[in-house]
Amino acid sequence: MKSVLVIGGGIAGIQASLDLADRGIKVHLVEKTPSIGGVMAQLDKTFPTLDCSMCILAPKMIECFRHPNITLHTLSEVSKVTGSAGDFYVNILEKARYVDASKCTGCGLCSEKCPVRLPSEFQAGMGTRKAIYMPFPQAVPLVACIDSEHCLYFQKGVCRVCEKLCPAVAIDYEQQPREVEVNVSSIIAATGFETYNPQEIGEYGYGRYKNVLTALEFERLICASGPTGGKLERPSDAKISHRIAFVQCVGSRDHRVGVPYCSSICCMYATKEAVLIKEHDPESAVTVFYIDLKVFGQGFQDFVERARDDWGVRYIRGRPGEIREHPFTKDLTIWYENTDTGKVSKTEVDLVVLCTAMVPRPENKELADVLGVELDEYGFLKAQDPLSNPIETNIPGIYVCGCCHGPRDIPESITEASGAVAKAAELIVKVADGGEG
Amino acid sequence: MKYALYLGCTIQAEQFGCEISAREVLPRLGVELVDMEGTSCCGFPAFSSLSTIGWFYLSARNLALAENLGLDILTLCNGCYASFVETKHNLEENADLKGFIQEKLRQEGLEYTGDIRVIHIIELLHDLIGTEKISETVTNPLKGIKLAAHPGCHAIRPSSLGRPDNAENPQKLDHLITALGAETMDYPEKTDCCGSMLATASGTTTLTIAAEKLKAVEGYGFDGLVTTCPFCFQMFDGRQGEINDIIDFIFDTDSEELEVPIFYYTQLLGLAMGLKPEKLGLELNLSPVDALVEKIAGGAK
Repeated sequence: MKSVLVIGGGIAGIQASLDLADRGIKVHLVEKTPSIGGVMAQLDKTFPTLDCSMCILAPKMIECFRHPNITLHTLSEVSKVTGSAGDFYVNILEKARYVDASKCTGCGLCSEKCPVRLPSEFQAGMGTRKAIYMPFPQAVPLVACIDSEHCLYFQKGVCRVCEKLCPAVAIDYEQQPREVEVNVSSIIAATGFETYNPQEIGEYGYGRYKNVLTALEFERLICASGPTGGKLERPSDAKISHRIAFVQCVGSRDHRVGVPYCSSICCMYATKEAVLIKEHDPESAVTVFYIDLKVFGQGFQDFVERARDDWGVRYIRGRPGEIREHPFTKDLTIWYENTDTGKVSKTEVDLVVLCTAMVPRPENKELADVLGVELDEYGFLKAQDPLSNPIETNIPGIYVCGCCHGPRDIPESITEASGAVAKAAELIVKVADGGEG
Repeated sequence: MKYALYLGCTIQAEQFGCEISAREVLPRLGVELVDMEGTSCCGFPAFSSLSTIGWFYLSARNLALAENLGLDILTLCNGCYASFVETKHNLEENADLKGFIQEKLRQEGLEYTGDIRVIHIIELLHDLIGTEKISETVTNPLKGIKLAAHPGCHAIRPSSLGRPDNAENPQKLDHLITALGAETMDYPEKTDCCGSMLATASGTTTLTIAAEKLKAVEGYGFDGLVTTCPFCFQMFDGRQGEINDIIDFIFDTDSEELEVPIFYYTQLLGLAMGLKPEKLGLELNLSPVDALVEKIAGGAK
């Protein structure tokens, strides 16, 4: 029986891999970064149940690692695909990690001693990592990797501290990238999304005002495993923030910046983050500025009502026109029109969180070229029919799930992943019966 | 660098310091100013509120006069700048309108094509001359003086049309200020309107808008405010006395009178070049500039 290729190690790709593997189907899971986990690993809690995100995800990640039917390819990309449904030949380019995965024990001594400090991708830039690092403590595989673009040895030929100190003798500066070819029956794309950079929306001051964060940055700030250990210390002066405002639809539903669609998860994660702030400090003043509250999922409306009525989160219908920063205190003043009352007002806060649009990854174009699948007008991978056939693409045997084909939340991504697995398994059975391929 | 200098009404009627200082400093930066014969008002805002076509006609007429000279047109006033840019835009978008205006202008022997550029003084100083060259002409740096930048609305808005600086985060005037050796910093009210547009509609509103900005500027510890626009200047400088007359009413409490020195950028540039205050029309400023001028000019001796 042939295996299946899953591209992307976020929650959708992880779920798809596990479902396939549990059916006895071999899986090649390809992940571009050093660890699987994706965006869900960066989240503090999930809505609407406020479960710890990592607590749900980490066991699945480890299961992926241990499952005899799953082969993990991290720091890897799909470079070439030929063949057709039931019989694809796929080239996977595995970049050099410069650490021997069979020897590294994940002790972390190398990172501790590495002299190069860089912004951490996992901490959304709110914290730092070293040039040799594991992206986060629960990383899978728990193997260090060297960022050769910033490593002193690779850049200037000096240092080699990690090599000297590694107790497992795992450092290998000579490691070369390698290309492996696999033969698979079908391909599931689960490459996810990225968030819109709100710098373009000048009136909100992101990038200029230190205390204006994106929701993903705030998610790290409020997380116990974040750079401040979950204390809401704002970037300008490490003052604990008690007055916090969320701005919805930053980029989303905005024809000016070319993201006209709704990102579908922001109303809920803003509500979640608002409740988390209230859990930290019930005296906090938390405001959510919204256009409409699009809370359509199971238990969502109830969650918003609890946030409003039980937790005292203030919801104001109105899109802020401008955010201004006091030159000395760095406090922020938000100007807005409350469209329920028609009144223009302002409010002063310590911290502003911009709930930015979910946008397609720029690499989608490259991936679409390699796979031969179509992109939609925004650059998401395109499903054949969003209504009646939301998982299959224009290429038979290639399926999509999760945010690579548009914004959706975790449960929907998981559901779709299982759906894609059903399609992939169906194809394998058909081929085995000699019906197709 | 050679430009047709368009002065407009406000400068010629009352804001002489704007023209005097510009004529004094710009040639020293290699700019040749060519006077325009037979110009009229740009049409903004008085005419534009009554007749859009009349406004476009007046603006296009002035642009045609510059075209006649074969030169790009330089405006010192934000209002004239906005008026010309918007007229050009509207005539480009609407061929019928352009044809109609062209026909009217031909009756007085003028040809409008819309091919010349409209140059704002901030654009000239910052983009075309550059802060480096300006710094080279500074012999008397404005050390230890902290100045608030006021670019003024029409230098930055509407952002969808060509404007010399970013609508939400204008920085060019700031760079020009620091090029003179002075200090500046961002302040929240920087992009606030001077209020002058409301002058004919509501006297107290217009004074309140200006007062709030000036009070904020004073509160942040600025030594003065800098602009290039004669409209904004006459609001902050000429009417600061009027604001002080009703300051208790404006802030609804016993308030100290405002004492914010207001300068044209070209006046400060002249002082930094070591020119005498009387060459820069500084005696015409109505806000309390004397002490600061003395401090700056005194430093030159």
